[in-house]
Amino acid sequence: MAGTLLAACGKPESTTDEAAKLPLARPDAPVTLPIYDDNPAIASDLPIEEGATLKLYNWDQYVYKKVMDDFAAQYNCKYEISTFNNMDEALAKIRSTNMDIDVFFPTPDVLAKLVLFRLLQPLNLDYIPNLPKCVWPEFTAPDKPFYDQGQHYTVPYMLYTTGIGWRNDMVDEKDDPWHLDNPYDIYWNPKYRGKIGIYDDYREAMSMALLHNGVTDINTGDATALSDAEDSLVELIDKVNIAITMNGAYEDLPKGIFAIHQGWSGDILASPYYGKGPAAQVAPLISYWWPKDGHGVIGNDVFAIPKSAKNPVLAHTFLNYMLGFDAAMKNFSWMGYQPPQIEAPPEAFSDPNFKWSWVVWPNLVNCIVKPTDFDRGYFYLELEPKVDQIWHDDWEVFISGV
Amino acid sequence: MSERTTRAHRRRRKRQQRLRLKEEGVWYPRGFWPAFAAPATIWMALLFVTPFYAVFAVAMGTVDPIFRNPVPVWQPWYWDTSQIVEVFGKIFGTGGQPAIFAPAFIRTFENVFAASALCLILGYPVAYFVARHSGKRKNLFRLLLIAPFWISYMMRMLAWVNILQPDGYLNMILAWLPLDFLPIANGHYGWLEGHQATVVFGIVYGYIPYMILPLFAGLDRIPQSLLEASRDLGASAPRTFFRVTLPLSKPGILAGLVIVTLPMFGDYYTNNLLSRRPTTSMIGNLIDNNVGVPSRVSEAAVLVLFLAVILIVPMSYYLRTTSRQEASD
Repeated sequence: MAGTLLAACGKPESTTDEAAKLPLARPDAPVTLPIYDDNPAIASDLPIEEGATLKLYNWDQYVYKKVMDDFAAQYNCKYEISTFNNMDEALAKIRSTNMDIDVFFPTPDVLAKLVLFRLLQPLNLDYIPNLPKCVWPEFTAPDKPFYDQGQHYTVPYMLYTTGIGWRNDMVDEKDDPWHLDNPYDIYWNPKYRGKIGIYDDYREAMSMALLHNGVTDINTGDATALSDAEDSLVELIDKVNIAITMNGAYEDLPKGIFAIHQGWSGDILASPYYGKGPAAQVAPLISYWWPKDGHGVIGNDVFAIPKSAKNPVLAHTFLNYMLGFDAAMKNFSWMGYQPPQIEAPPEAFSDPNFKWSWVVWPNLVNCIVKPTDFDRGYFYLELEPKVDQIWHDDWEVFISGV
Repeated sequence: MSERTTRAHRRRRKRQQRLRLKEEGVWYPRGFWPAFAAPATIWMALLFVTPFYAVFAVAMGTVDPIFRNPVPVWQPWYWDTSQIVEVFGKIFGTGGQPAIFAPAFIRTFENVFAASALCLILGYPVAYFVARHSGKRKNLFRLLLIAPFWISYMMRMLAWVNILQPDGYLNMILAWLPLDFLPIANGHYGWLEGHQATVVFGIVYGYIPYMILPLFAGLDRIPQSLLEASRDLGASAPRTFFRVTLPLSKPGILAGLVIVTLPMFGDYYTNNLLSRRPTTSMIGNLIDNNVGVPSRVSEAAVLVLFLAVILIVPMSYYLRTTSRQEASD
């Protein structure tokens, strides 16, 4: 208590010096995250903690409850899920409160800082045989993935692309992205004023504007390019009275509240279930665009185990369970976000004999991510704090409704 | 008589008075009654002063350079006011900054003014009816007045989303009515497409129960005898209303206005659910936008302080008016 009070009386400490040590992972500059002596992985062959409660810290609605129930029944444990709204919020809580969490779902762009500050523990892959057995080699080869070569701290969870979702019955064919020279122009079409939405996410919205303006570096620090992107977004306010939402793609597009909405592939795949009427009748009304040449926004998120995990063996077991084919596909069938499973290659979803092909509507098969898409797609990468500040400043001008 | 004798005399009198009151069973030790209020007072002080100080500490704190989360500074001697200057610039366009917050501030005042006026105009007749003309069914109407409180604000707003969506009930009703000359009556009007009016109607719907209850309490307290006296002295019914009822219900009107305007200024949820457009954002949305981004929480904290300053104005007016009223009574 006295120590806390004394600490509170001192000037707040800064971590500026540590910032210089942050390795910024890039596809052409992959990073092998260090394993520190003071933060080793757990030993092999330990028994699973008995009567434990597995605590997850996850995005909202980002794991199928039935899959969790199956896991809890199989391993005789309980589970609790806490949720966060964005990665910044999650990092702040994890760091400041040292939360009691066994499994965390970060995005790859924040891994370096989590590792540097010993907030994650290295994985013992002996507990995760399903990683090499079930997951695409693009994530399991020794030099993969670029953000965590050798899978020292993470295993992949879900894949996604960010494209454009629209209603066939509300948007004229000549106006849809497939028929436009610049597909992103669809957002600026005043004909659909009031019925267009984008994600309430500064990276997604600003990146869309950058791509619209012909800038393909979606991690740029170029202040002029970002300022132009801001101007383009502000133009959306006047031209189409743009909406910014987090649930518009999967909840409101199928209801016809929006005719056009920026869409994550998983949101669009799940959207027919949120329409008015049977999903099979709603699905044909929805279309999804993502560039056929693979030059679009792509990404994945990951599983990680915090250093402070009370049940690290159970957490490793959970990771292994979730990477297993059955659990992964069951989870996919509810969420719409695709796991990188070897036994579920992209072409399988067009094969009616494939057990899980029903999850992907025939007209939305382009929501499925291919391994080669990662070679050409644009991946969100960690921004330097100063660059991140510019992004936020430009985004703020837009959302303040100038 | 010397001063010492006078004091001793006073003490003796007080002791006698205390003894007499004790014998009569009505004497209480000093601090007896304030002691009842102490737990709630301490509770309120802790839950108001501490969080408010935390807002100051965050507003004038720093941001972690790596994790980008706010680092509150608890010691006033280390406080950095640059964030306040920056937000001031964003509101008023000073310091070479564009006034990017100005539209939301202006819109908030417009929305709050329109919504509180509508609450009063719509709520007063309801409160008047229940207080004066509901007869034997007064208790039933009282119950109906508090019925909206049984359902959370969020659920009521979500219900509005269903009512207002393109194929919702409102458009169905409007299409059925013979109002073809109105553009909103074509059966396809996009109520949820970012209209300031929709946000105002949503706010009115959300807060009108808070207006009606104090109005009802104020009107119900007006003695019937005063109204009868007015009529006996020859005043017509409208004159009685404007010269007797309305002035006497002023405390209820003021209380209702204060109760609804204070939360309206900070409201963000109505806009989030019924519009979701930057063009309809209010001060509450500016705060909400920044709270969601840890590196911007200090800006949100400064906006909270600005909002608090704005709210002091109607609060002070209310306190001044009611204390004057009490003094004149």
